[in-house]
Amino acid sequence: MNALPLDPQNTRRDFLQKLAAAAATTMAMGAPRLLANEKVVHPKATADACILIWMGGGMAAPETFDPKRYQPFEKGVPVKNILSTFPAIPTAVDGVKICQGLEQIASVLDRGTIIRSAVQPDLGHILHSRHQYHWHTGYVPPQTVAAPHLGAWMSKVLGPRNPVMPAFINVGQRLEGVGEQEELKAFTTAGFFGNEFGPMNLPYPDDAAQSVRPPKGMEPGRFDNRYSLYRKLVDKNPHREFMSDFQQESMLRSLDNAHRLLSSKERAAFDLALEPKENYAKYNTGRFGQGCLLARRLVENGARFVEVTTEYVPFLHWDTHKDGHETVAGMHKQMDAPIAQLVRDLEARGLLNRTLIVIASEFSRDAMIEGIPGSNARDQATAPSETLQEMKHYGLHRHFTGGTSVVMFGGGVKKGFVYGQTADERPLVAIKNPVPVMDLHATIFTAMGISPKTVFDIEGRPFYATEDGKGRAVKEIFA
Amino acid sequence: MPFKFCLAAALALATLSPAALAAAPAKVDFSHQIVPILREHCGECHTGDKKKGGFSLNDRASTLVGGESGKAVLPGNAAKSPLIEAITSKDPDKQMPPKGARLSPEKVKLLRDWIDAGAPWEEGFAFKKPAYEPPLKPRRPTLPPAVAGRANPIDRILDADLAKRKAPTPKPVDDATFARRVHLDLLGLLPEPDALAKFLADKSADKRAKLVRDLLANDTAYAEHWLTFWNDLLRNDYSGTGFITGGRKQITKWLYRALADNKPYDQFARELIAYTPDSEGFAAGIKWRGDVSAGATTEIQFAQSVGQSFLGINLKCASCHDSFIDRWKLEEAYGLAAVYATGKMEIHRCDKPVGKTAQASWLFPELGQINAAAPQPERLRQLAALMTHPENGRFTRTIVNRFWHRLMGRGIVHPTDAMQSEPWNHDLLDYLASHLADNKFDLKQTLELIATSAAYQSHAQIVGKDTDEHGYTYAGPRAKRLTAEQFVDAVWQITGAAPTRFDAQVVRGKPTAEAVAAMTLSAKWIWGHADAGNAKAGETFTARKKFTLKAAPVRAGAVATADNEFKLYVNGAPVASGDNWENPEAISLESKLKAGANDILLVAKNGGTGPNPAGVIFEARIQFADGTVETIATDATWETLKSPPDAKGKFKSAPEAGGAVVEVANSALWNVKVGKQLATQLAQAATTTQPMVRAALLKNDFLMRALGRPHREQIVSVRPNELNTLEAIDLNNGQTLATRLEQGASRVLAKQWAGSDALTHWLYQFALARVPTNAELTLAREVLGEKPTSQGVQDLLWAVLMLPEFQLVR
Repeated sequence: MNALPLDPQNTRRDFLQKLAAAAATTMAMGAPRLLANEKVVHPKATADACILIWMGGGMAAPETFDPKRYQPFEKGVPVKNILSTFPAIPTAVDGVKICQGLEQIASVLDRGTIIRSAVQPDLGHILHSRHQYHWHTGYVPPQTVAAPHLGAWMSKVLGPRNPVMPAFINVGQRLEGVGEQEELKAFTTAGFFGNEFGPMNLPYPDDAAQSVRPPKGMEPGRFDNRYSLYRKLVDKNPHREFMSDFQQESMLRSLDNAHRLLSSKERAAFDLALEPKENYAKYNTGRFGQGCLLARRLVENGARFVEVTTEYVPFLHWDTHKDGHETVAGMHKQMDAPIAQLVRDLEARGLLNRTLIVIASEFSRDAMIEGIPGSNARDQATAPSETLQEMKHYGLHRHFTGGTSVVMFGGGVKKGFVYGQTADERPLVAIKNPVPVMDLHATIFTAMGISPKTVFDIEGRPFYATEDGKGRAVKEIFA
Repeated sequence: MPFKFCLAAALALATLSPAALAAAPAKVDFSHQIVPILREHCGECHTGDKKKGGFSLNDRASTLVGGESGKAVLPGNAAKSPLIEAITSKDPDKQMPPKGARLSPEKVKLLRDWIDAGAPWEEGFAFKKPAYEPPLKPRRPTLPPAVAGRANPIDRILDADLAKRKAPTPKPVDDATFARRVHLDLLGLLPEPDALAKFLADKSADKRAKLVRDLLANDTAYAEHWLTFWNDLLRNDYSGTGFITGGRKQITKWLYRALADNKPYDQFARELIAYTPDSEGFAAGIKWRGDVSAGATTEIQFAQSVGQSFLGINLKCASCHDSFIDRWKLEEAYGLAAVYATGKMEIHRCDKPVGKTAQASWLFPELGQINAAAPQPERLRQLAALMTHPENGRFTRTIVNRFWHRLMGRGIVHPTDAMQSEPWNHDLLDYLASHLADNKFDLKQTLELIATSAAYQSHAQIVGKDTDEHGYTYAGPRAKRLTAEQFVDAVWQITGAAPTRFDAQVVRGKPTAEAVAAMTLSAKWIWGHADAGNAKAGETFTARKKFTLKAAPVRAGAVATADNEFKLYVNGAPVASGDNWENPEAISLESKLKAGANDILLVAKNGGTGPNPAGVIFEARIQFADGTVETIATDATWETLKSPPDAKGKFKSAPEAGGAVVEVANSALWNVKVGKQLATQLAQAATTTQPMVRAALLKNDFLMRALGRPHREQIVSVRPNELNTLEAIDLNNGQTLATRLEQGASRVLAKQWAGSDALTHWLYQFALARVPTNAELTLAREVLGEKPTSQGVQDLLWAVLMLPEFQLVR
């Protein structure tokens, strides 16, 4: 029982293509249009759903999935000696080690692939927001049109797996009341595809049920009565002659869809309180762990693309500009159990083979180098760079774009496989099989059955799933 | 008539060259042999609108001109023609076509022979009809005679069009539908029930025209509605990408005043291009930290924004390479960018330098050109003048087309940002454009002309999915979806739940002439010493006033100016600044002052290069709930401080007192020059009525974003016209709307209704501008009951707000 028991996506795509062909009116409105004349051949999907586990803020590869020489804390040690602040531990894959603190992930690593050679471009200042925009849309900001998020591409090209489930759900990232919130909003969007393909944002997993529940204080009976009053008022509307207007029809249809989700059985997927207590406890390392649990429940019920994040907040979580070692130890605690449990649970349910899990971050970190070697980016760390004196300066405090780890599970990727390699001495750059963002996206798109050359016409110009259609999937990682 | 290549003529030519004679080209049939080859192998990228690499084979002229890398076809010389080289090359980077099957040797030979024969072409042949090229100059069409007394020029043009097509004339709407439509379109608000009743009761024949004029005369509501349109078009906002790093500047204050004063559109555009400090944000664009691609510099953004906003030209393609879809070239986009650039601009093609420097120029040299050698401010002035040149019909056509789209639901050229496309009615577009110029670029005149036409006052067209399948034809206006701001404003109107604070840094409204005339300042110009007439250049003076307020004010406004500059801090926070003493600043203070102790700090700085007069003046009028007004004005009772605070208005340690504040003796000169403006600005800040706060004055929020208010990182001139499921979920259970409805319900209930029917009547009148039917009354009664409860009212409000009839301007 490998396939998900839901809409076969090919049927959905046929439907969408027919729809696109017929949508001459949409084009007249200046809306994006799937370009039909380009001979785009979609690959055969190896995954139906995707969970992106986003380590916003810059997850240091040498502190997680690509351990280097361990240097314990000692006063007076030259900072240049520090490559990793965690020792390496063995994993379920012979000869592959990851960092201490990730023991549970280590135990399921035989179900996944580590790419150790992801690389990012040098954008001058190594700014989180610009790299995050680039990672999520495939395009370096600024762009002349609002670029769609990876999830919006899935939503637009593949559509929902289950008609009542929003295709693109974004878990754990607050977009209000946090630093750089405007920069986060700029890529957390369907861009020119339009809101319909945009994310349903669930910043607090424990509260997610609220998003699909009647408003606070409204009991279900009243909620249904209100909707039925609305339907009756529509039926009795004296301006029914206008109801043939397709704008009005679509308005009614959208309200109907919304009501359907808010009254559907899939609604339960959003409610973490319905998860058996002992299983909830396995995930519950905080908001991120709860997010992983929510992602599992959503995918089980037909979500297409779920992003779940440790949350990007400037100078918190992975954004370790000081106290790096201790902060990362805390991040290990947050991520280890829930990610491993997510893999185990999806596997136990027969869903892992058709669900692609991707763990990624906008860049890695280093104790010495800002950006890539030779970059003239301004140094973001305040820590002295000669010798270690205080614990708070022990850690990888600089943004590094030369070699980053990405981990994938399920969805047709090889099991117990490592792709690419970084140098063992500083600079820890990718020295084998570098994978730029474009190719990483092409790999994810390919797994989902979307050609990296998929192209839409916006404002008369072609806009590709990967820049200029040039992203190439890393074929070697597919089973 | 199929073309046959004339062999005799070719031979006659060939005989001129002995070398050619030796290899006399074989007979080639252009139509039957060459056209199919070009169509099959080259057509996809190089015919019709497509011109990859800037090269089009669409007609003979474009074929001979060549593309970005020079000529492709040298008639008579196949051996040296790059086209032949490309189709025979084995280099994957050079070969054409880049993908698909190579040309067979037979086909290559045919093309060689054709070029060697002089590349003959059937006269007038083109693979696709050449793209429409819109006229540049304005044109005053002759108006057809009025039919059935429909004398508005718009109707004369459209009635003739309908008659020609034997199409029915759209039926007029009733007064109430018109009233709702015109209120929402011109001011973005629902007609208040009382105003609607009064309008319906009015029996005069010209009441619709009068209503249009009255609405347009409401400067504040007009400004605060059209702010949405212009914020979108000029990508101005109060929060968003770029502000965090200071890479972006608002133009809110300038824009608000421009709209409230109905600044003529030519002057409006000139001030945005040849900018002032207040309007600079549009030209300056968004400066991103770090490196950006060559196509995303602020200079290129300037070219793109100027092209799109004012001319409906999309220069986004041409910012990177010669456009494949319209006629604009890379050099033209860079030329426009170079008008703004302060340094040398190297032209980049697809992010790689081509070894040329951009020359400042503009897009329509037939109207005149920019002096590339002039300094930047002068170049911008020249660009502003060319943009608003009387012969630039593209400038007026673009804006009237946008306004037509806002009011009539579809552009005359559509989409409105593709002004290179053919209008569905040339006369209509040209007439509206000329009308705007003839009326001194008064945009309200355009709105009045449209809103008073019978066409505007017709039933909305019923649009199906395939209505436009064979192209658009006019059949009445089209329903428009409420913008996010209109929706939120309407909810606030009905529920009375509008906020009292707003984010836009503006002083709202416009003072009456009487209020300005009655305003007399009591403030004195002050300085830190008696010899203010000979203050040193760069001298700084810090003055403070501490005072106690009996309560938090309900309204507080102030004016300030200084010779030469000032910064104002209220209760330790920066509030306003100014560096042009002839432009006093109107300042809103009610959110800055509090009950109890307050302090106001003025830091003034003298300018000039040698000793010269210095002075600063400030006056605030503070109004309390009981109607009393307190004045705080500069005079000798203020104290001086030895040193100014830091930029945030804070002192590291308690500031030391300086000498006495002196009222400047000879201040008549200043008062003659700016006395009137000081009074006007203080009247502006302190006496204007403050109607309901409008959504357009607030930062984008969750609800508005869900309803389609854009992020404004790019120019978005047209909002989505359809409601989608995610938005519908927010409308179903979003907390913002739910809270508003709850607050609204208690206000509605406070009105003491005679019964539930009375309440339903009121709601339908307000929300839909009509009386409910009996069936609707019955349904409402079911939810409201005999004695309406808060829940019942909330549910009815929600159900009515969700009706397509409510969410559309129809």
